[in-house]
Amino acid sequence: MPDLRLDATVNGRKISRAAKPHQRLLDFLRDDLNLTGNKEGCGAGECGTCSVFVDGVLMKSCLLPVAKAQGAVIESVEALASTGELSLLQKAFHKMGASQCGYCIPGMVMAATAALRANPFAGREEIKERLGGNICRCTGYQKIFDAVELARDVQNGRLPATALGEIDAEQGDFIGKNVRRIDTPSKVSGRLKYAGDMTMPGMLHVQVLRSPHAHARIVSIETSAAEAMDGVEGVITSADVPGEDGFGVFVNDQPIMARGKVRYVGEAVAAVAAADLLTAKRAAAAIKVNYEPLPAVFDADDAMRAGAPVLHDYAPDNITKHIPIRVGDVEKGFSESDLVVEESYSTQAIEHAYLEPEAGLAYVDHDDVVTIVSPSQNITHHRSMLARIIAKPISKVRFIMSPVGGGFGGKEDMIYQGMLALLAMKTRAPVRLVFTREESIISTAKRHPSRTTLRMGLMRDGRINALQMTMICDGGAYGLSTEGVMRKAAILGAGPYAIPNVRVDTYGIYTNNTPSGAFRSFGALQTQFATESHLDICAERLGLDPFEIRRINAMRDGAITHTKQTLGSVSLLRALEAAEKASGWEAGSPVSRGDKRRDLDRADIRPPVSLGARFAGVDKQEAAE
Amino acid sequence: MLICENYLTPVTLGEAFTAMADNRGRCRVVAGCTDTFPWAREGRAGDVDIPVLIDVSKIPELNELRIDNKLVWLGAATPIQRFLDDAKLARALPCMPRCAVWFADDQIRAQATIGGNIVNASPAADGTPCLIAHEAEVELVSARGKRKLPLADFVTGPNKTVLEDGELLVAIECDALAGYGGSFEKVGHRRSLVISLVCLAALVKLDRDGRKIEDARLSIAGIGPRPLRLPDVEKFLKGSPLNAATLEEAADMPVALVASRTRQDYRRDVVHGFMLRGLVNAARRAGADASALAPELEAAYA
Repeated sequence: MPDLRLDATVNGRKISRAAKPHQRLLDFLRDDLNLTGNKEGCGAGECGTCSVFVDGVLMKSCLLPVAKAQGAVIESVEALASTGELSLLQKAFHKMGASQCGYCIPGMVMAATAALRANPFAGREEIKERLGGNICRCTGYQKIFDAVELARDVQNGRLPATALGEIDAEQGDFIGKNVRRIDTPSKVSGRLKYAGDMTMPGMLHVQVLRSPHAHARIVSIETSAAEAMDGVEGVITSADVPGEDGFGVFVNDQPIMARGKVRYVGEAVAAVAAADLLTAKRAAAAIKVNYEPLPAVFDADDAMRAGAPVLHDYAPDNITKHIPIRVGDVEKGFSESDLVVEESYSTQAIEHAYLEPEAGLAYVDHDDVVTIVSPSQNITHHRSMLARIIAKPISKVRFIMSPVGGGFGGKEDMIYQGMLALLAMKTRAPVRLVFTREESIISTAKRHPSRTTLRMGLMRDGRINALQMTMICDGGAYGLSTEGVMRKAAILGAGPYAIPNVRVDTYGIYTNNTPSGAFRSFGALQTQFATESHLDICAERLGLDPFEIRRINAMRDGAITHTKQTLGSVSLLRALEAAEKASGWEAGSPVSRGDKRRDLDRADIRPPVSLGARFAGVDKQEAAE
Repeated sequence: MLICENYLTPVTLGEAFTAMADNRGRCRVVAGCTDTFPWAREGRAGDVDIPVLIDVSKIPELNELRIDNKLVWLGAATPIQRFLDDAKLARALPCMPRCAVWFADDQIRAQATIGGNIVNASPAADGTPCLIAHEAEVELVSARGKRKLPLADFVTGPNKTVLEDGELLVAIECDALAGYGGSFEKVGHRRSLVISLVCLAALVKLDRDGRKIEDARLSIAGIGPRPLRLPDVEKFLKGSPLNAATLEEAADMPVALVASRTRQDYRRDVVHGFMLRGLVNAARRAGADASALAPELEAAYA
């Protein structure tokens, strides 16, 4: 494999270095030059975390073969604050709070820089268009656009430089105040190191071998060919687990790597540590796993039927968790109601899609402490589980939480840290694993897909007399956070409404789908989608205003919920009032409005998305020609 | 992951043909590369070993751009962004800036080439219907010689073209249509970085008063295995008065052509709407008389 000799100017410095022909510019900048400010979020040109300037033109470095940089002038995000002082745009991002997890922000700052270079007077719509190739998941785009507009106005002298300055807040007064994030400079400059940015001397790279089957018995795993390859330092399977295998948030039903059988496509079966990623990949491909496919089940209702394939011996009915709640007498409530409405609602699996794919670095330190650095959202729990799994006292296990490039619950599970620990112990070298976007999607938890059947009994005046809710969730192959999600769904599902008779059943079910787990709102989204949609339908049936039906049933200060929690204060009425006002709501039942909406075309309502802001003026010009 | 042993960047056509001949069966020709790395990933081609990549984007003939009153000669390595940035080119090819602004995003457009978009032969390729509407011909060159054929005949199906082994798409020659109004309509799941479900290119030339259609060119993609030109509709529009009745009748004509694998009903609705919107937008940009288009038609589709 002949290396390339790459001559280029990178961030103002001339370089002349060997590069591999298959490297992308992104790999070369990050791995060879240690310029880790620009990130890899997708590797497919979709997200923009890797955007760099090539001869002054912004490009996605994950799409560029390194050879295309021959003779070019490259600027990565590190070039923007090369003197140590943040650029105008970086300061504006700081000022406007335009960074949360920060993982997309170096790319966003680069795209914003390109936008204002292309048009220093770009309006907000044009700014949006020019930043269209960059995705953010947690900061939110509005603050980012605000920041670009602020920088533009300061640059053009429409605002003074002091507009970028600190607002004086009263000492110790934070609530309701605009307080600057202290970590923003590290994020807008790309200086902050996420786990995938970290390296250690002698570090090995890890590749995981994953199951192509949804349900299969592992007859044998043959690793000798992989172990014999040059550059391979260690191969692990479940046989390498020294202690009691099994992790989870509520039930420890998931082995570090598949043990005896695989239960979903993408489940880890073996892992390789090697001197470089390509070698690790080739070694993983050389591992021979002999599978005996088993019947699989992909639907929660099917999994509950007698005779369905069983995933876990301990749960022959495939029920991960059932949460029942009973208050009053729902049957009596229904019989005394003027109207009973029953409907079904379903929601699908949702991927968290944080911009930072999972990554971790592990080593055994000088005191024999197995140390794992990763963006885990639950390091204390992981630490105690891992100690049991690797049969070490807890004092010999250490978890360090690296900056989390977006989590939303998706990084609560110890899905890969165990493999890192085992490989660090086996190879006695630092090991690093960085998921590809595809691996992240195929192997980590999703929001629970759900089917909710809702039956509600109401009086003619709108009061809810009884509610019966049954939610069946596809929990996938392992328990993860399913139990907690079922609990929260049951607790919050009936909504903030005072209902005398309530019967709720939530079920988390094992299937051979990708495991479901924690995701923002933790089960409340699924049930409340059902409850709130249902209330609109009931309002229509009763000829009531949807806001009104909610006010009638709203819990007040001091209410006791159906799980016996006393609520000191309830803000629902205030929230309803604010929502009604902000939305320009036309009072009345859903059927009373006629066929034309009157809330559209208002100045404070955003028009539909379109493209072509940069043609403003061109149309007129064309017409004139 | 894409693995290659050698990345060659020939700077003449001769060097490229030699490299292609020397590495026959073990090489892939690339230009902008924007689809190369995403293709070599899990879920698509997976890990692929291609011993030699031959990057033709530095060859002068593929970067040439000539515009005269009648023709535009586009080197195949012309980046898509150029249709937005080069005012002279935009005037000669009125559809292309409207197409380019919907094409991927600003960054990918700077790297992606028009030749790559054509050779990839995706049924949803945005550039192809525009160029077909501009009567484009492709110039194919190999060590053995040159041939020219209509772009409409070059693409034969999804990812299929008549490009032969050892042959390169060097240039695209198309009609310069300054004075036409151009539009490009596209629908997908979001605004940027989206693959077309349906896209339509429309070009309209009006008489001096802006009330009669002198010429119209239409091409549509995403409704079947390859992009289609709409000669019957064009013939009907030519010489017709510019009014709502004409456009409505024209909009109905291609609806029956929908032959996609999926969502045919949806696409039939889209085709009808896009025909109206595309023609209204193109006519407006061609200087339509304000009273020629019924206000409700303009409001609904502009």
